[in-house]
Amino acid sequence: MSASETPLHSGGADKRSVASTSTGKSAVEFRAAIAFLIVIALIPAVVRNDYWLGVLIVSMYFAILTGAWNLLAGYTGQFSLAPATFAMIGAYATGLLCTAFGVPPLLGIVAAILIAGLTGLILGRIVLRLTGPYLALTTLSFAEIMRLVASNSIDITRGDLGLAVPGLLSSRIGWYYIFVGVLAFLLVALYALLRSKAGLFLQAIRDDEVAAARSGVDVVFWKTAAFALSAAASGFAGALYAHFAELVTPELGLIGQTGLIVSMAVIGGMGTLAGPLIAAFLVYVLSEWLRDVGGYQLVVFSALVVIFARFFREGLWGLARGAMQRWRRS
Amino acid sequence: MGAISVDLAVNGLITGLFYALMAIGLSLIFGILRIVNFAHGEFYMVGAYAYTLIALGLGVPVWVALPLAFLFGALVGWITERTLMRPLYAGYTSWGLMRDEYAVIVTFGLSLFLINLVDKVIGPYAYRGPPLVDASRIVLGPVLISGHRLLAAGIAIAVILITAALIKWSFWGKQIRAVSQNRLGASLAGIDTARASSIVFMLSGGLAAFSGALLSPVINASPDVGAFPAIKSYIIVVLGGMGSVPGSIVASLALGIIESFGAVYLSYQYRDGFGLILLMLFLLFRPQGLFGEKGREV
Repeated sequence: MSASETPLHSGGADKRSVASTSTGKSAVEFRAAIAFLIVIALIPAVVRNDYWLGVLIVSMYFAILTGAWNLLAGYTGQFSLAPATFAMIGAYATGLLCTAFGVPPLLGIVAAILIAGLTGLILGRIVLRLTGPYLALTTLSFAEIMRLVASNSIDITRGDLGLAVPGLLSSRIGWYYIFVGVLAFLLVALYALLRSKAGLFLQAIRDDEVAAARSGVDVVFWKTAAFALSAAASGFAGALYAHFAELVTPELGLIGQTGLIVSMAVIGGMGTLAGPLIAAFLVYVLSEWLRDVGGYQLVVFSALVVIFARFFREGLWGLARGAMQRWRRS
Repeated sequence: MGAISVDLAVNGLITGLFYALMAIGLSLIFGILRIVNFAHGEFYMVGAYAYTLIALGLGVPVWVALPLAFLFGALVGWITERTLMRPLYAGYTSWGLMRDEYAVIVTFGLSLFLINLVDKVIGPYAYRGPPLVDASRIVLGPVLISGHRLLAAGIAIAVILITAALIKWSFWGKQIRAVSQNRLGASLAGIDTARASSIVFMLSGGLAAFSGALLSPVINASPDVGAFPAIKSYIIVVLGGMGSVPGSIVASLALGIIESFGAVYLSYQYRDGFGLILLMLFLLFRPQGLFGEKGREV
């Protein structure tokens, strides 16, 4: 959109909020997301190759992280730059519990969700009053500090060498369906949350925090809750990934990982249910394919992020919706 | 004060000078657009490569390559402003909520793009820039320092002073400060706010590239070399007060000294963590920084 020439046309915020708060549209998004997940669940009937199943599992890991970040950034307007860090925290939580204290992996994963969620709660509480660039910088430095701690506490985490974590099961198909199940569960939970009053509160805070507070929304509670829930879901993904890869390194919390998550959400369309989910698969699978072609995957996707943010603010989902509407009218 | 302390203080101050050279541009951008440029480190990286490749690849003397690196950074800054920053202030009254998000996404994306583009086109290998002078170690009383570092520090002081004077007294500098204080008011007074933003981005890109060039003999040019100085600049603009040039100079020197002493007396492994903790504390308890004014809305 050419906001530079037409000041009147720059109400991107208004358009988006109208689109995503109306329940009819979000029901369409939910149905599209479920249909997409069914396709994903059917893929192993055709693809038996361990490598590509692994690629899809990692895509699902990113889909969970992107969805969690979308709840925080897309629906609540809290632009955190630490989603990958919460995955790293979850991964180290279960990894350390399993190796140092002999906790069974399943219990470790539950603990990881709680620990990541609690960290998110505390961080969310601390950064409550910060917005925009201030929030981005604070969460960025939180992310960097956590990564420094993970890679420097060599006695505990073995630093950059990585921590060997016990596996959960050896069958790749088994892992595939664990991730499908978790992704489906979190998708339904996110949809239920957005359909409830809580979803309206979060979006009201995103659109105008002061107005929301005046209308009686408990802004402190809901902002903190969004942080904690998003962090818990990210920690869940990180903990699952730790047992899948059987290795945890500080690289899980790299800024580049956060960059990938942000790319997926922006390309798919922030503040929509189906867009970031589909984009997570699209970006990750395409990037694996581009890696074989010549390794230009990161150049392509970072350029796409800039182009989408500049010209197609509603992402692929917004483009698809626009195309559908035009097709119906004609 | 022992000899070690003098050495640490001098080296900390010199590090601080390089930080200041880097951070002033970021501070100016924040002042004029109220955004944090997450691609600032990549302006630095562009300068480091421009200097190294021009001097080594084309065999141009270092004293020509250094200003060329500045120009190259200014060009990248100008392109960034023209292509990506215009939506931030065209119709800025009705932009509302999405403005901050847009700025973070677009500069973050640009940062990743430049890193990966250089990684693919030039390659992931590190290039060492040619030093300005060959004297490898100079002893000044208790202080041991390389000739290049000493000369680079002198150049940094000169460039910082020139920049500060330009901002303070020049015609364009006054325009920039007017737009920073009140964009609408400045435009009503007949100032071309778009041009002021372009100038700020060119200056910012040029200064960051210049510091990249100056430091390339010490910190080799590689695609992700900008991440480290960028994080230092974020810390500094927060400590010094977002948008305040004198504040960022003082904060740079302070951070240089804190890190230099902290690395020896507190923890070497966590030397990069001190500033990050300071950044969080300042944002939480004193967001206007050391010198910044509390927001004045008109």
